[in-house]
Amino acid sequence: MEKYGHWLKARMRFVAPFLTLTILVVFFSFASEGGRFFTGINLLNILQQAAALAIMATGVTYVLLTAEIDLSIASMATMAGVFASYLLVRGTPGLLAVLIALGAAIVLGLISGSITTYFGLPSFMTTLGMMQVADGLAIYLTKGRPFFDVPEITLTLGGGYLGPVPWIIIIAAVVLLIGHLVLAYTRFGRYIYMVGGNSEAAELSGVNTKLIRTLALAIGGGTAGLAGLINTGRIGSAHAGGFEGMLLDAIAAVVLGGTSLFGGEGGIPNTIIGLLIFGVLKNGLNLIDLDIYLKTFVTGAVLLIALIINVYSLKLGESAEYSEEESAAA
Amino acid sequence: MAHTKPFDDIILELRNITQRFGGVVALDNVSFNLQRGEIHSIVGENGAGKSTLIKILSGVHTQYEGEMHFHGSPVRFHSPADAKAKGIGTIYQELSIVPSLSVAENLFLGRQPVNKLGIVNWRQMYREAQTYLAELGVQLDVKRPMGSYALGEQQMVEVARVLFSGADVIILDEPTSALSPPEAERLFEFMMRLRAQYKTMIFITHFLEDVMRVSDRITVLKNGQHVTTVPKSEASKSFLIQQMIGGEAETLMASYTIQSDAHAADSHGEIVFETNRLSKSRQFSGVNLSVRAGEVLGVYGFMGAGKTALANCLFGYEQPDAGEIKLQGKPVRIKSSTVARKMGIAYVPNDRKLSIFPGKEVYKNITITYLDRILGQILSKSKEVQVAEEKIKQVGVYPPDPMIDIAHLSGGNQQKAILAKWLVKTPQVLILNEPTRGMDVGAKDDVLQLVRQFKQQGMAIVLISSEPEIVLGNSDRIVVMSKGQVTQTVGNVDLTKEQLMQWA
Repeated sequence: MEKYGHWLKARMRFVAPFLTLTILVVFFSFASEGGRFFTGINLLNILQQAAALAIMATGVTYVLLTAEIDLSIASMATMAGVFASYLLVRGTPGLLAVLIALGAAIVLGLISGSITTYFGLPSFMTTLGMMQVADGLAIYLTKGRPFFDVPEITLTLGGGYLGPVPWIIIIAAVVLLIGHLVLAYTRFGRYIYMVGGNSEAAELSGVNTKLIRTLALAIGGGTAGLAGLINTGRIGSAHAGGFEGMLLDAIAAVVLGGTSLFGGEGGIPNTIIGLLIFGVLKNGLNLIDLDIYLKTFVTGAVLLIALIINVYSLKLGESAEYSEEESAAA
Repeated sequence: MAHTKPFDDIILELRNITQRFGGVVALDNVSFNLQRGEIHSIVGENGAGKSTLIKILSGVHTQYEGEMHFHGSPVRFHSPADAKAKGIGTIYQELSIVPSLSVAENLFLGRQPVNKLGIVNWRQMYREAQTYLAELGVQLDVKRPMGSYALGEQQMVEVARVLFSGADVIILDEPTSALSPPEAERLFEFMMRLRAQYKTMIFITHFLEDVMRVSDRITVLKNGQHVTTVPKSEASKSFLIQQMIGGEAETLMASYTIQSDAHAADSHGEIVFETNRLSKSRQFSGVNLSVRAGEVLGVYGFMGAGKTALANCLFGYEQPDAGEIKLQGKPVRIKSSTVARKMGIAYVPNDRKLSIFPGKEVYKNITITYLDRILGQILSKSKEVQVAEEKIKQVGVYPPDPMIDIAHLSGGNQQKAILAKWLVKTPQVLILNEPTRGMDVGAKDDVLQLVRQFKQQGMAIVLISSEPEIVLGNSDRIVVMSKGQVTQTVGNVDLTKEQLMQWA
């Protein structure tokens, strides 16, 4: 019992989402028509579908770890895609257009962060405002008509292949890897966790919590912009309101993976599991014999169940730890 | 203020009340009565049993021995709601008003007059609120939001609400500690107006001047026992202090003069840290203090004296409105806690919840402060653990395991870990706010022993406490604060607890 409680608590945040994922994979492997789920091609398919979301979710992980929230990510993604096309149409070289658009998303994130920390507004409100601002920019730039010119580089990264592997999967993997390395192995990453764990204690330890929280939101903006640019390339066109669905998907994937909405606990490995749960669920439901009009309902129900399992198993881990303490005290 | 009304109408009586918590006796055979239309103050040191008594009267504690008689018949409240329903209203320091609602809505909270359709009758509500407050002599615009009024006015509305809900007895728990002197004066006038209307009040406070200002009778508690109940005319501030601390005065003095060896060796260094007329509105004003290297400056005062706001300003966690802070003789602006840390100022806040990161390992709790000094941009667990182990050994955290969750340590060991995090780079100035609060005797001693060590190492230490023993036993000089002002700055030579409390 001694070691067991600690071990359980430390890993529950990871174990429960992982179990959910396993159950889903096993279920779809058997339930899909003719075993179409568990094939190399389909698995690659899942990764490809989840890739753009993965890029966005990396930044969301940073934001949630500092106990903030960013509601503007989907709008930032749209804005970045539209902005790049807008610049391209006006003669800016493709690569430069992409970099400027990405920079714009980071700057908007910085603005959200600065307003949040220096005026003490909840990020829920600031980023709600920023959502409108980014949407508004996209509407203004498109004047309501889609752009069918997108920079060459986004077409390659969004839809091209490096050998047999889609570029979009490589990009997502690199972003997730960098995201993980920074969180787990740098001083900045530690500050993210500590600020999220107890913001007052961090400030009273002399940590510049405002800077850390602002940077987390800037990173959230940056990854959202990148996700938008690459997704624009995948689709081949840019228009206002294009990625609305990504907002809830990205936050849901991060939370499903076990990262706490209250900050300080979780990380990129959790987010990867969450993304896979999300990807497997969406893909798998297409491959089983299910009324197409019921799909959204089932997705929602399964997500809710998965979240309940997460929370419940965390409590279980804590009580295991508690009983360990009691037996140690006795 | 001569009272000629009869004082024989006893509204509430406690007979031989004893309250135990496990093996600890918080109230020991206390008897006490309350006469209709009086203001009865209850005084005593921290731990004398005041709050336990209040909690019994207001139905929070229900498992006590002894009897309570209310309106002449025995009662036993089952819950705070029960006590309230039967006519005992309690007003705590944390007001329960809703700032965004109007004065009238606050007064009627949950009981708004409604018509047949269940719709609030606003006109009736405003009219009745206006009339009711006017009767009590409170002149407020009942349509304005509560939050737009000062704390003193909010308190009066809260008192009015408790009265309005039918309370016969009102308990006021430390109502003046957050009020400015003129606001407190208005509250006292209000209380006396209520008394003229035969309302009965119990007044709990640390401020003995306030007690002398408004009370009809005063009860002194000490170590859970009833010491005396006297009419105001027979009491004085110094009499009350003597009753509160009892025969201890002499022995305490003796033990302190032995401990504070400091003033014998008058060889302190330069002034490291000083303030010049530092002020923050509603918190403290015109504070002058200075600390030398290797000196402990005690700051004594009751809760609400402005000590925590002062400490927060010294560490850049809050900003003062006026005045100057000097470090090594040079004026500095400490615009954030990050700046303070870089200047070599360390701060241990008064609440451990503000210091620890629950769920994180002890080593992370220790290295967080000077992480940038321990390593570069890349983390190194071995380096961190090594530094943490060294500091854990230095301060004696038990168990000495850097890998366990800090939430699993006892309060005293958490506090040691909090001290440890400031020792990675020896600070010039160490500000300790209630460093021993809520600890057992052994842990207290350990922490104070560490403070003495830091002093030997030449740190300039500001030791803030509302426990006179802590300040007397560990400071070279003492600053006494009362209601945001420094009332006394003295060397810690032959001082008594009695004197400190007189100045506070």
